Amino acid sequence: MFYRRAGILHTRYQDERQLWPFAFDRGLVATVLAILLVAPFAFDRIYLVTYLLPWIIWSSAALGLNLLMGGAGQVHLGYGAVMGIGAYASVHLLRAGIPLELALLAGGLASAAIGSLFGAAALRVKGLYLAMATLAMQYIVDFIISHFSIISGGSQATLQVPPVRFLGVSLASDAAAYYFALLICVGIVLFMLNVRRTSFGRALAAVREKDYAAAVIGVDSFRFKLVAFFVSSFVGGMVGCVMAVSYYRAVSPDQFHLDLSIQLVAMVIVGGLGSVLGSFFGAALILFAPIVLNHAVAFGADTFGVGISADLRAHLPLMLYGAMIVGFLLWEPLGLAKIYNNARNYFMVWPLRHNR
Amino acid sequence: MTPASAPHVRPAAPLSRHAPATDIALSCHGIERSFGGLRALKGVDLEVRQGQIFGLVGPNGSGKTTMVNVMTGFYPPNAGRVELFGADITRMAPHKVARCGVARTFQNLALFKGMSVLDNVLLGRHVHMRPSALASLFYWVWAEREELAHRRVVEEIIDFMQLQDIRDEPVEAIPMGLQKRVELARALVAQPRFLILDEPMAGMNQEEKEYIARFILDARDERDVTIFIIEHHMDVVTAICDEVVVLCYGEVIARGDPATAIAQPQVVKAYLGERAAARHAGTAS
Repeated sequence: MFYRRAGILHTRYQDERQLWPFAFDRGLVATVLAILLVAPFAFDRIYLVTYLLPWIIWSSAALGLNLLMGGAGQVHLGYGAVMGIGAYASVHLLRAGIPLELALLAGGLASAAIGSLFGAAALRVKGLYLAMATLAMQYIVDFIISHFSIISGGSQATLQVPPVRFLGVSLASDAAAYYFALLICVGIVLFMLNVRRTSFGRALAAVREKDYAAAVIGVDSFRFKLVAFFVSSFVGGMVGCVMAVSYYRAVSPDQFHLDLSIQLVAMVIVGGLGSVLGSFFGAALILFAPIVLNHAVAFGADTFGVGISADLRAHLPLMLYGAMIVGFLLWEPLGLAKIYNNARNYFMVWPLRHNR
Repeated sequence: MTPASAPHVRPAAPLSRHAPATDIALSCHGIERSFGGLRALKGVDLEVRQGQIFGLVGPNGSGKTTMVNVMTGFYPPNAGRVELFGADITRMAPHKVARCGVARTFQNLALFKGMSVLDNVLLGRHVHMRPSALASLFYWVWAEREELAHRRVVEEIIDFMQLQDIRDEPVEAIPMGLQKRVELARALVAQPRFLILDEPMAGMNQEEKEYIARFILDARDERDVTIFIIEHHMDVVTAICDEVVVLCYGEVIARGDPATAIAQPQVVKAYLGERAAARHAGTAS
């Protein structure tokens, strides 16, 4: 009904391979983008800075990790460290007076170089062992950042980001910082969408599914795994820079600890491995479910006059949060994106039952 | 199975029409390979001429698939030498062997699940494409033209293999016989010079077998590819192969013209056992 397949007749291959063949999807994407563009004027500052901005940034980071985990099938438990490398590299360059455009790319390159160095070592093992090797990377990078004062500026230090301009616009205002993050996010989204319809994405998928079958059609598994590490780390480094510049406006070692890595892995898995849309769903769930549940529990206790103790009031949201993640994964192991897709497929032919 | 039930395919064309007899596509000399204490291949020699359909047969466990894995680089041989069109490819990594113009299908399917038939066949073009992350980022200016050019080649193979109506289906959703055909399409779309088929007709009914036999003959005649085939259906082997080698416990026990080779007493014995072979010899005489 909403998604009209009837009347869509492709006469050229490029029409068939376009990003959103359905008019409804194109409308939906345009609407969401329009809302995101007018958000600084339409919403209160507090919503922009505490909800929308982190959602955009964490989704971008989840997308970068999703290229590696969903695209090439390699687990990475040190993605927070990768982002930390990018953030520290770019902030040091910014403090040295290098413009943000260059610092952003340099941060990405620093992450990509160090990330793929670890990757080259870690990729000699697979599966759970790879997870352990990347976890080791997280701890090594954490240690180096906090113990080398030339990087962190001292063990408890916070490095302030100087006032910066991007393409001539000062990022001092919240709106400008938000648009900067949004621009990078849109770039990453377009990249991820295009990866899936090009030979690069197909080669990664081949490596993920069956490495011997990938070899037989000429795909060098090790090389593509390494390239996936490189590109994914590059994206992570750039997002680390965005996080430092437009969200924290400073860097300190505790921003990039293991909890960030775990948060991102959770976003990718709950959202849906390999799904662009899923990264946004996953980021929203992991970031906002605790806040929403907190408010809901407090509101419920107050309205219904149930006298629950302060302890329970603090812990109940956390229990519900855990149950929610387990529940979603039991309901649909392929993640929130798959749940959305099921609904979409249902409405594709509604009120009829079958697609074909 | 008796020759009477052979699929209705035309007898193999004479070799001379395709290539001069001196053109060797692939040669293996003294291939040895053991796994622990088991000597899976004991000095196998074989030569495949260009334009041939070459059969490799033998009872279960005789080392046929091991031989193919040695040829494609999956199991480096302990001794011996593999040459492809005169170039040494012994101990070359599998993905490099693929770049030398060798394509192969697997005994148990090796399609990429979660992808459509079209994407699986497109992956077969990998050796001819230049995948890069930057090209993906700037898709519209950088990758689109390449994608479309290769799409045309893929569509040609999809027509050739008659897969038009399933090109958008996920590969795990289509029947086994079609999956085998998709895998053959993925191998052919790479435009290989040498195509290895590991039991392409396993588990197929008569009609599907005839289809595949027709595709194999057409591939050889129209696409100029030398074909190396492992197959258990003797009716197919005698009908389409120009030459066979019979393996038993890692040794060559017979070779030559298919009908003569598989009728030899040592081959019948390898397949049926001593007593049955004696009975067979009795009825034959």
